[in-house]
Amino acid sequence: MTVVPPIMGLDVEMSSLDSAPPSLLSQLRGVISSIEKGVASKEMRLMARANRQMLAVRRQLKPSTVNAFLKNTLPAGSDALARLLPFLAAVEKSEKDMDVDTPPATGQSPVSQKQSVLPEVEVFCYLLVTIFLIDQKQLEVAKACSSAAVKRLQQLNRRTLDVLAARVYYYYSYSYELTDSLADIRGILLALHQTATLRHDELGQETLLNLLLRNYLHYNLYDHAEKLRSKTQRSESHSNQQLCRYLYYLGKIRTIQLEYTDAKECLLQAARKAPASARGFRIQCTKWAVIVRLLLGEIPERTTFMQPGMRKALRPYFELTNAVRIGDLELFRSVADKHSSVFTSDKSHNLIVRLRHNVIRTGLRNISIAYSRISLADVATKLHLDSPTPVEDAESIVTKAIRDGGIDASVDHAKGWMQSKETGDIYSTQEPQHAFHSRIAFCLNTHNEAVKALRFPPDAHKKELESAEKRRERQQQEQELAKHIAEEDDDDF
Amino acid sequence: MEGKLADITRLFQKFKAAYDKNDTETSDNILSQLKVKLTELPSLPPLFKSSPSSIQELLLARDILEHAVVLSVKMEDQDAFERHFLQLKSYYTDTRGVIPPSGQEYPILGLNLLRLLVQNRIAEFHTELELLPPAAHDHSCIKHAVELEQSFMEGAYNRVLSARQAVPHETYVYFMDLLAKTVRDEIAGCSEKAYDSLSLVEAKKILMFASDQELLAYVLDDHPDWEIRGTRVYFQRAKKLAPCKEIPSLQLINQTLGYARELERIV
Repeated sequence: MTVVPPIMGLDVEMSSLDSAPPSLLSQLRGVISSIEKGVASKEMRLMARANRQMLAVRRQLKPSTVNAFLKNTLPAGSDALARLLPFLAAVEKSEKDMDVDTPPATGQSPVSQKQSVLPEVEVFCYLLVTIFLIDQKQLEVAKACSSAAVKRLQQLNRRTLDVLAARVYYYYSYSYELTDSLADIRGILLALHQTATLRHDELGQETLLNLLLRNYLHYNLYDHAEKLRSKTQRSESHSNQQLCRYLYYLGKIRTIQLEYTDAKECLLQAARKAPASARGFRIQCTKWAVIVRLLLGEIPERTTFMQPGMRKALRPYFELTNAVRIGDLELFRSVADKHSSVFTSDKSHNLIVRLRHNVIRTGLRNISIAYSRISLADVATKLHLDSPTPVEDAESIVTKAIRDGGIDASVDHAKGWMQSKETGDIYSTQEPQHAFHSRIAFCLNTHNEAVKALRFPPDAHKKELESAEKRRERQQQEQELAKHIAEEDDDDF
Repeated sequence: MEGKLADITRLFQKFKAAYDKNDTETSDNILSQLKVKLTELPSLPPLFKSSPSSIQELLLARDILEHAVVLSVKMEDQDAFERHFLQLKSYYTDTRGVIPPSGQEYPILGLNLLRLLVQNRIAEFHTELELLPPAAHDHSCIKHAVELEQSFMEGAYNRVLSARQAVPHETYVYFMDLLAKTVRDEIAGCSEKAYDSLSLVEAKKILMFASDQELLAYVLDDHPDWEIRGTRVYFQRAKKLAPCKEIPSLQLINQTLGYARELERIV
């Protein structure tokens, strides 16, 4: 792989550009220079930083700025410039009418003198235009632009591109999602994923896998998603965001397949790992996690629903939890009806239907705790079973609950009652020890993960080597100290 | 191409004639021929080549496969059912915009749900369910299967059994009968845990047997650990979780060693 050295004349040339809002352009210039530095030093972190810098300015972008930036960065007459400018034209037309303050920068901005530019910079320009178009709600144009970007990426094979490419893929899929045509790009995404796998582009693999999962789940194709997921190799995650997404999708798949314990773990982890600013994502995770916990027979704590900024969105789920906690079928039904539109849009409606069974179970458990003996007819009325044969229903429901270990009781068929058994002492069983063990394991795991996530400055270990002399000294001191302590210990005995 | 299509249509007519006469053997034979012929049509999945006759081809193929699914139910062949259904499914999902939806779609999807329920493949049941649009849940065939699953999970078994009388389609009866057997086993398992003993009359009623002989045969075959004394059935209750008397030393040692190892790494 050859690395093109950063173009030296760039800074001088750019400083002569004052016509467009200066701060924005200079920020963008900063992004370009960190991309160039990143390419030169092959340091992926600089590329990621460039991404972040761009996101910071994205809200303030104006067509004229983007236009000036493109003309300034890309060599005149290059393919990329010829391809990108028409995309902007659509936005500019609509902007001209209302935006008077902007100086007419389009015509006058100095044109780049360079003959060629790094592919990274070119891809970055594509990315910038795509994001800009999405922000301007020019979705069809954004689709065309991102498709062009992906096509260009397919011709390139440079590892320094990976970070930018991953972003391009993301916005590519996003623009198609916004126009509700995700199914069209499934084939291309799969091809890209294959290429990324062959080139060991792990970030690309991760991003594309998530996009594919998202694509499948968008159409409720849980089966396809699970098959793809289980058959792809996953390496250690490179990006926290992608890991969060992956966990969220995995959690959803597991929920549908009734593997609630796994699902809960994934969803809770996704919600915890997600950055605080990703509020929408965390709300979604929390919603699903709440349902899964309810399905598992757990009742989420009240604080889950009181998190700042989520309270309103989680309201329906709070009421639902309440209904399940009380075990009142009547209330449960009314909550499910009242918020059915919310549940349908969250695609959790089918899960809510599954919950009915848990409501009955909880209600039954409450009854069995409160009464030492109760007639089956009373059980039926207390559970609000609406069926032509409530007593028979109640009897078989109770027997199943007994078999599944939900309640500890026995049924007397002839006399038609349910008799609860004395609750045993939980501390005489191994249960507390299991709970304790799982907590310890969790803590240790967290610590290990934290250690793995530590970052070290690249040359720190060399410094250590230089001061080998000093270290020997320190070790000597430590040894003496240890000897002292040992002697003191001896004294104690 | 025209000739081929006409050929298949003719053969399909023959198949239908045998099918309507309930002559399963002949229809099965013709069906295998039909399936071979279908592979020669280029517009069918997975090729989806568009041609002037592609809509006709798709419609015909879908019709044939729908009949094949129902035929496999009639022949009580679950494997064939699964094979045909999976072939048919791509017509329902991938050609939605090309050919008009079939009237048989929901009955057959409901049938498949029922099959998954009978085979106790609940995870797949729910995966399939997610694929259905919300409107489909109001269709009697889908609703039937969904309600069955719910009653089954709750334990309201008599609701499952009474649903047999209210099947939305005659092909459902086969699977409902299979389900009845599963339900009986479930009830037996539950009763064993919930009751100390039952009188023979009651047991007969709960397990839905017509005569004492059937009940006795069932007990002998499937639950030899039950004891019949006089007029009552006594269930040998499984020993419940006893309080832990002895310390599970091996497990404890393993865990403690694990902690020590991890702590070592930290300090």
